[in-house]
Amino acid sequence: MTVQSPSARRPALRRPPARRPVHGRPAGAAVPRRGRRRLFGPARLALAVVLVLVFVSPIYLTVVNAFKKEDDIVAGPATPPVHPTLHNLSTALNRPDHLLQLGLRNSLIVVVCSVLLLIPLGSAFSFWISRRRTRPRAVVLAVLAAGLMIPPQVVLLPTIRILTFLGLDHSYPGLILSNLGGGYFSFAVFVYVGFMRAVPDEVVEAARLDGAGGLRIWWTIIMPLVRPATATVAIFLSLWIWNDFLNPQFILGPLQGQTITTGLYLSVGQFQMDYGQLFGIMFLAGVIPVVGYLAMQKQFIAGLTAGSTK
Amino acid sequence: MKPLSHWFRDTSQDLGLRLIAALGLLLYLVFIVVPVFMSLRSSFTDENPLKSGSNWIGFGNYSEMLHDSQLRTSVVFTLLLAAGVTVVANLVGLAFALLLDRTALSYRVLRTVAFLPQVVSGVIVGFVWKTILTQDGLLNTVLRSLHLVHTPVDWLGKPHLAQFSVGVVVAWVLSGFTTVVYLAALQNIPQELYDAGSIDGAGAAQQFRMITLRMVAPATTISVTISLITVLKLYDVIQVLTSGGPANATQSTAQYIVKMAFTNDRFGYASSIAMFLLALSAVIALSVTSILRRREVDL
Repeated sequence: MTVQSPSARRPALRRPPARRPVHGRPAGAAVPRRGRRRLFGPARLALAVVLVLVFVSPIYLTVVNAFKKEDDIVAGPATPPVHPTLHNLSTALNRPDHLLQLGLRNSLIVVVCSVLLLIPLGSAFSFWISRRRTRPRAVVLAVLAAGLMIPPQVVLLPTIRILTFLGLDHSYPGLILSNLGGGYFSFAVFVYVGFMRAVPDEVVEAARLDGAGGLRIWWTIIMPLVRPATATVAIFLSLWIWNDFLNPQFILGPLQGQTITTGLYLSVGQFQMDYGQLFGIMFLAGVIPVVGYLAMQKQFIAGLTAGSTK
Repeated sequence: MKPLSHWFRDTSQDLGLRLIAALGLLLYLVFIVVPVFMSLRSSFTDENPLKSGSNWIGFGNYSEMLHDSQLRTSVVFTLLLAAGVTVVANLVGLAFALLLDRTALSYRVLRTVAFLPQVVSGVIVGFVWKTILTQDGLLNTVLRSLHLVHTPVDWLGKPHLAQFSVGVVVAWVLSGFTTVVYLAALQNIPQELYDAGSIDGAGAAQQFRMITLRMVAPATTISVTISLITVLKLYDVIQVLTSGGPANATQSTAQYIVKMAFTNDRFGYASSIAMFLLALSAVIALSVTSILRRREVDL
């Protein structure tokens, strides 16, 4: 499932302001922090830990049960793996249909191609539109904004017909091409436009006086300046395209090699499976985006929050 | 009025940039704008992938929609789901944000963890929750070992219970997102407001109501709007969790479109429902945004 993040409406070349330190206040000072004086230190942290753990318990179940034998799962699904086993993971990886290997590979191809093409498309378009006059710019951006709200089911059928017309239906190039056009493009443009508004006109004018063309200014001056925007766009689009289910399901079709989401749906959904196997597969299928998220979470949160506050 | 030569020079200098920008816009036109109009056109026909050509049937599909009880069920369920999930996910998000609004490393780790449901794909979320919620699933195992229930509860098997379960799962997915949005808003509230509030003698509850809630209003607008849009087009989680069952009780409108198009091969009819969903999403998103915006201005 994808959440369309708020577009970055505010320029944010700088990082979000740092929090003022909590510990800077003398102990017992009269001014309470944010009016919350009841829940202090350890009690508050304990409550936070318990609530967050309950909240993510389905993810916890997936992780611990991926390393447990079937009997142990049924006996105590919530207990940590006392006798850890890699059996579930190796069974998942040794499936005759190579569900995980092929799915992960195919997803990777789609994500990398789509994002590598969407970034120059979105950023060059944003640079171009942000230098246009106000009214045409507002009209074009409003049309693009609609793209964020349109349910994908509305455009799915015509998209398939257009791809059929182009001879690209049921193919990876077709899927990648349709990714380039839709809401993903809108999102990229909104993030980039927000960041580019913060680039002073003088920078562009100076480069132009030095004889640099638009393409050159965009690539050598603008792109380095909006690197945080590129990070935001790349992270979000990678996650959404990786997790996309509807488009791969119907644009690739059941006869093609699957992405990891459609592969899971078609292979795992078809037959009854033991829990160990299921959790093993889920663990391996989910581990790449989760590790990616954990590695990039600073940029991720910064990007998510850039547009959500005024 | 600029001299003509200005435009020529500009064009030659910007040609490459314009080409890339035009390509982006062209792809958007081909894969969003044109499809919306194609869908609109199809919605007035009896288009069917099994036969070539299609007949113009005017408002035939739309009048059929009025009498389609399965569609009505799906629309009611979708609207209830959108409303319920939006309320729950935003309350949970705000509560989590208030709880986790501390700078210590432990709180930052918890924030990172709380967002995880958003990172995992809807298909995985669906399967994992299915193993938890089925009759012999993990939730019933736990409940029985704690002697809370004697006969296992069929969380996904009874229509109303299944609708409730789907709501819980979807709210779960969205709450990680709302938490982060509210956290960002909380962090932007200047400490001075609270200082001034406590000097004026405002208690914690009063400060929360008069300062915190008002200052997170813009975040509420964004968080609520995005939650609504997300649920209105939701497909993957429900498809995996219940496939719309039992007895179509958890079939969202988005799923019904896909079912009409690809299972029943009724492209024309599916397109008219798609048009309806598009209008519904637009009306809900725009009106909710404007109502919440007005609330922001009031403060």
